[in-house]
Amino acid sequence: MNLALELDVNHLFFWDPILFKDTPFALNRVSLLMIVGSLACITFFWLASRKKSMVPKGMQTIGETAYLFIRDRIAIDVIGPEGVRYAAYLTALFFFIFFMNLMEIVPGINFPVTSRMAIPVFLAILTYLLFNFIGFAKQGFHYLIGTLFPPGVPKGIYLLLTPIEFFSVFIIRPLTLSVRLLANMMAGHVLLTIFFLFTHEFLVTDFKITTLPLGIVTAIVATGLIVFELLVISIQAYIFTMLTAFYIAEAIHGHGDESHDDTDHAPVHEVEGLEATTTAA
Amino acid sequence: MKNLLILAATEEEPSGLDLILPAVDELVWGAICFAVVAFFMMKIAVPKLRETIAAREQSIQDAKESAEGERAEAKKMLDDYKQQLGEARAEANRIIEESRQAAEQVRKDILAKSEKDAEAIVARAQEQIQAERQRTLQELQGSIADLSIELAGKVVGRSVDAESQREMVDAYIREVSGMGSNGGSNN
Repeated sequence: MNLALELDVNHLFFWDPILFKDTPFALNRVSLLMIVGSLACITFFWLASRKKSMVPKGMQTIGETAYLFIRDRIAIDVIGPEGVRYAAYLTALFFFIFFMNLMEIVPGINFPVTSRMAIPVFLAILTYLLFNFIGFAKQGFHYLIGTLFPPGVPKGIYLLLTPIEFFSVFIIRPLTLSVRLLANMMAGHVLLTIFFLFTHEFLVTDFKITTLPLGIVTAIVATGLIVFELLVISIQAYIFTMLTAFYIAEAIHGHGDESHDDTDHAPVHEVEGLEATTTAA
Repeated sequence: MKNLLILAATEEEPSGLDLILPAVDELVWGAICFAVVAFFMMKIAVPKLRETIAAREQSIQDAKESAEGERAEAKKMLDDYKQQLGEARAEANRIIEESRQAAEQVRKDILAKSEKDAEAIVARAQEQIQAERQRTLQELQGSIADLSIELAGKVVGRSVDAESQREMVDAYIREVSGMGSNGGSNN
């Protein structure tokens, strides 16, 4: 048995430009897939919103259900009644991430665009700018005070709490938001690649009667992983959108606003906790 | 151990750090793609979906309101009908009562008229009886006078002056009848 499989990780994530080489618009496989994913997203919602029938069917049902889910379960539930204003943006955000992630399990493509840092970091910066803009627009300078000096805390604690709040809200947030998405999709991509490479190696390239059972096992695991990755794809899009909604809600209502009980803030940690489970898996 | 999977990053251009740093060209394309998708979603698709959903909600609301209106109208009509039915019943009862009273009146009138007629018939009959009696009495009076004269003539054996006898008999009968009526009352 002389099985040797060499996998260059760089071949999974780095692609040479196809067009416009040495310009900021250099088009490689990643950028091309971004365009494909965007077109898929637009086509899906174009088909969904094309017919305005009173009794929805097919694509219209899916589109309306998707929009209503984001509007009611994320925008209104998290932000409150004024969340309706952000429902369109959150819908765009969710489905853009979802379609970019989905590339991971589309046969023939098998590459999640979000496993490259460009989209996660761009969307995280956008979220960062958005919630800070909303915070200052809604609360003015009080937004900064309320965030750095949350009410109801003994004064001495501020020595510790204020730097932590500053780092967590103004420095770490965009970073965790982008790295969470990137790491999940990257891990999923590597995992799928390894199992499919094993399967290919055991069943095709280096096929022997002894490698057959191993090949079957890896094929089954790889297929199961596709289903699991579909879950991760949806959860990651949901987490990114949900956290954006939480940050907007916090910017609108204040950090420790008495009018909003802890249920508004507690789920932030719950959602962030989901990241740990999916990454660990 | 060659039969192991070897994960090796090549030592060429891209380093490990490049895996988590965004490439400028990809960042540009990512921004463009998201801008296009966000514009399409926020300006075209979502407003359309929102419009459709709002129109559906409105049509359901309208249908509900119109159903409620129709229900209220139906209830009003039912109330009207019930009221009309009640009025009709009262009217019918009033008519029946009036008819009964009219019938009673007619009955009374007929009864009164019948009694009056009966009384008139009885009175007339009595008058007739009285007249008949009177006439019979007179006839009887004449016959008795004639018979008495004839009898007296036979007893006396001679013809009695008929004229004077008659006057005498008549006077006697008057007396007798006068006595009879007086005597009858005395007896």
